Order: sequence, then C-alpha cells, then structure tokens
Amino acid sequence: MIVPSVVLGQRAGAVPPSDRILFGGIGIGSRGAHVLSKLLKIPQAKFIAICDVRNERRETIKSTADQNYGDRDCQMYGDQYELLARQDIDAVLIATGDRWHTPLSIIAAQHGKDVYCEKPCSMSIEESWALGDAFRRYGKLYQAGCQRRNGANFQLCKDLLKSGALGKLKTLYANVGPSVNWPPLPSRDWLAEEPLPAKQVLDWDRWLGPAPWRPYHSSYVRGGWRNFYDFHGGGILEWGSHTVDLCHWAADLDDTQPVEYEPVGTNTGPYFVNCTYANGVKLVMRDNGWDGALKTGSCSFRIEGDKGWVETGDATKIECSDNIKPLLRPTEDARMALENHVNELVRCIKTRQAPAASAAAAANSHVTCHAAFIAYQRGKTLQWDTNKRAFTNDEIANRMRSRALREPWRI
Amino acid sequence: MPQTPSTTPVVAAAKPKPPEPPPSLREGDLAALAAPALIAILKDAAAPEFRKAKACVRLGELGAREAVPLLAALLDDEHLSVYARYGLEPIKDPSVDDALRAAAGKLKGVRQIGVINSINKRRDYKAGPMLAKMIHGTDVDLARAAAAALGSVGGTSAMRDLQAALPKTSGMTRMAVADASLVCAERLLEEGKREEAMAFYTALTAPDVPKPVRLAAMNGILREESPARRPR
Repeated sequence: MIVPSVVLGQRAGAVPPSDRILFGGIGIGSRGAHVLSKLLKIPQAKFIAICDVRNERRETIKSTADQNYGDRDCQMYGDQYELLARQDIDAVLIATGDRWHTPLSIIAAQHGKDVYCEKPCSMSIEESWALGDAFRRYGKLYQAGCQRRNGANFQLCKDLLKSGALGKLKTLYANVGPSVNWPPLPSRDWLAEEPLPAKQVLDWDRWLGPAPWRPYHSSYVRGGWRNFYDFHGGGILEWGSHTVDLCHWAADLDDTQPVEYEPVGTNTGPYFVNCTYANGVKLVMRDNGWDGALKTGSCSFRIEGDKGWVETGDATKIECSDNIKPLLRPTEDARMALENHVNELVRCIKTRQAPAASAAAAANSHVTCHAAFIAYQRGKTLQWDTNKRAFTNDEIANRMRSRALREPWRI
Repeated sequence: MPQTPSTTPVVAAAKPKPPEPPPSLREGDLAALAAPALIAILKDAAAPEFRKAKACVRLGELGAREAVPLLAALLDDEHLSVYARYGLEPIKDPSVDDALRAAAGKLKGVRQIGVINSINKRRDYKAGPMLAKMIHGTDVDLARAAAAALGSVGGTSAMRDLQAALPKTSGMTRMAVADASLVCAERLLEEGKREEAMAFYTALTAPDVPKPVRLAAMNGILREESPARRPR
C-alpha cells in the first residue's frame, strides 16, 4: 500500500490529518471572518463546516476556506444542530450577534465541542453564570473573544503590577467608550416594519433566535442591531467585555465581581460607573478613556498602585508614571493579540489547558459589566452580594438579572 | 503619586445615524409608567402590539403580581408570548407558577415549549410530575424542554424520573435527558445529597449514555472526589 507522506506527517511542516483539530463556524460575518483568517494560517487546524442563516454568508465562508486549503471540504449548513451533530468536528467558532452567544455556546458544549465565542459572551447576569456552569460541567474548553489577554503590551502592564513595581493596587480603569457610537443605555424602540425577504435569503425567525420578537427591518440584519436593548448590552457591555475583562485578568480578579456600582453621567456621555471590590480596590468604567498625552488607543485600560501607574490600549504604546519608565521594554504590536489568541486556542485544545479567556473568567467579567449596566439603567448606586449573586438594595435590579428567551430557545 | 486621569473625554467620530423609529414604536413615557397604567394597556384590546410588549417587560421589572392573569393571557400570542414570559418570570409569586402550569397543559407547539422553559427557570417543583410525563410524549422538542426543566427543578423525585427516562428515550431526547441528569446531579449536590448525586453521576458513566455526558459525569465524579471537595 502506498501512503502519501503528508498523511504520515513526514513532509516538512505537514500535520497528519489525524492530528488536526477540525473546526466548524456558526454565524461568521466580518468579525468572525477576521478571526477565521488567523485560524486558516494554523497547520494544526482545519475549518470544515459553516452554518449561517444567510445563504450569501455561508457561500462566502465556504469559498474562503476551500480556497485556503485547495479543496472543497467545507460543508454548509442552515441549522446549527446539523453542524454540531458531526462527530468529526472538535471545536466551533461562534461569531453571531450577541443574542446567540450564550445559547449556542452551551448547545455546543452539550454536543461535546470546544468553543471560541466572540464577545460580549452573554446578554444577562443569568446567562453569564449559565455559560460558566455549562463549560465546567462538560469539561469543555471555552475561549472568549477577549484577545487582548494575549497581547504583549497588555501582558507587560499585568507583569508590572504582579512584580510589585506599581505598589499596592488601588484603582483599575476600563475604557467603555466612545458613547457617541454605543451609549450606555441602548434603545428599547422598534424600527418600522419592512417586507420580509424570502426565507431562503434570510430566515428572520432564526435570525431573531432567542431575542424577543419584533417586526423585520433590514437595518438590524446589516449590523444595525447594536444599540437596541433586545440585541445589545450598550456601551458598557460592548467595550467592558474587553476592558473590564482586562482589568480582572491583570489584577487576578477573575473569580469575583465588585460589590458596589455607582453610575455617573448621562446617556449622551461622558459617563462613568465607579465600582468597588470587597478588598477595597476600585474599578472605574470610563467613557472614552482619557485625554491629554495618554492616547493609548481603543480598548485601553489603566492600573494605578500606590507607587505608580501604567496604561495601554490598541495603540500598543504604554504610558506610565516616571518611576516605571525604566522598566518598560518594547513589545510587539497590539494587533498581534488576535493571532496570538487564536494560536493559544489551538494550543489549549491540544493540551487541554484552560485558555486565559476561559468561560469562568468571562462569566465574572461579564457579570461585572451587566451589574454596572443595570446600575446605569436604574440610575442609582447598587450593592452586590457576590455569594448570593444578588443586589442587596434594589429588587427591580434583581429582576433585571435575567431576560426571557424567545421560545423554543433556552439556556 | 499616581497621576489621576483628566475627566475630559476623547472626542470620537460618530457612526452614521441609524434609521429613526416612528413615534408609535418609541418607548418614551412607557418606561416610567406605574403598574396600574401598564395593566390598563394590557386590558385595552385596541392597544398596539408594541405598547403591550413594553408593558409586559416593565411589569416584570416592577414585580407586579396583580398583572399575572393578564400576562398569562398572552402566553398563546404568536408575537407577545415571549414578552408575557419576560413579565412573568421575575415575579416572585406562586400565582405565576400556577399560571405557567395551567398554560403548559393547554398550549401546543413552541408556545408550550416557551412556558416549559419558564417553568425551568423558576424551578417549580410542583410541575415535576407533568414534566416527567411530557418526556415520554411524541413531540421531541417538547420532550427535550420537559427534560431540561425537570433537571433544573432537581430533587430526588426528578432524579428518579430522569433515570427512568434515560433507557427509554433515544436521539435528541436522550441527549436532553442525559444533560438534564447532569444538572439534576448538581442540584442534589447543592442540596447536600452527595450520595445520591454521586450514584447518579456513576449511572451516567454507563457506556450507552451519550459520550459528552458520560465524560461530563466522570468529570463530576473527579471534581467531587478531589481532596478539597470530599467530606471529611
């Protein structure tokens, strides 16, 4: 029998097919395609299936994958259950709209799949806990799309805190702006009804999925779903899922949440939510970051200790107090974070090690964002009991911890 | 001393304006209405769907138990059923559970599944016998929802019903029963019924149990048998 050398992994750089992690994708739009572009470069992985409610997107992603591998292996699905039923698929990329993130991630875990899911990972406090519980229950690997946990400039800031150079941790700052795009309070309005497209072009019922029913409007489908409460958690969740998450990671707060949330500002910005952890550390969620010399880019975060401070963001550069400057070193471009992140995903799937942006970490950082979002909606300072997972001074806020999912969906 | 950031925000370019909602589809003053005014909207047969939807959500936030019959009356509405459940789910009153159980016995199709999912969320133990029966029905989607709800309700009775259902179900229903069994085992642990939970986990490691659940059950046993978790 003649066996091609590539099958045995004997060709230089070749990976035997049996050693390849097979991926499927659900709801891969522009952001998902960006993540996919990094995955396609990794020889230890192969992307072999795409599920989407939009025919044109299915075909686009299939074409991208097939061109990359020089074959026609990528299969297309309109129903996620058909894709998830495939025994050969090890892991899925989920990059749908936010409303689908938790339900689909949990369904994937129930089917024995590892998951990469875009952020925000959940639509409510209840969904955040359910996500963490499901991945702990099934022992499956989950990586949130919080790629900055694998960014060198962000890592250096974390290292500076850990080394003691910043002294005792006092305050964390998370950029949750700009509010001109996504204000803290998304709209609860509906757009006027437009005629529904044919189901084979767009399945509106499936597009809505677990979100409450509303009449069709093409703007939602074109990406305009953001800023509508039924589909979106506003600026706090949109950006906090990155930057609050960074604060938790950098300060080893991945297993807790603040106990107090004080909203400040208006819906047109600038706005803040001042939070306090049980150990006295402050977390300031801040619209638009900071001005002056500290132009560290989008998704910036800042750590202040009693001996110094440090700040970085997507512009790569690190700003800091004078005493920290001698400790700085050049880091790779912040844009490398996503590539590092996807590499970490594949590595962790192989080694079964938890990635930095695990489901448990995502649950805690997202609960923090949701609690701040609820405080902003309530317009009052809320106290939070981390053990009871409940607000202690506002019953309406407690009733806002969960959202009903449209039938037949559940978590 | 650390330099405290200035309070001046960086000015960012705004995205193109999205379409404007028509006045009739704006929440406006609805957000501030008290329960009696919201209830009046639900009572008004001529009130538009949008206003009823918003009234349901707001009544849930307010925890208005007096609105339960009106919310329950919308559980069969094609568009508003999810809003009715949005309203009902957070209201802490047994009348909600009574209404959901009654609706679960009457409704059909996805509306019935939605109600079962609300029972799941509220963990209504009185629904246990009804849910256990539904698992064995011919409607696979309903059976799966019922299994999930039974696991969420938890307790010894649910454990027995799920254990009994496992060998009698197949395909997607069997997967749902197995998944619900894992949840039920966790509920037993929460209630301090460790021996029952461990026995349930062990039963779920049988070769004929769906692989993801089998592995998860083994994972559960390992987690609970770790020195930190084992009772001393």
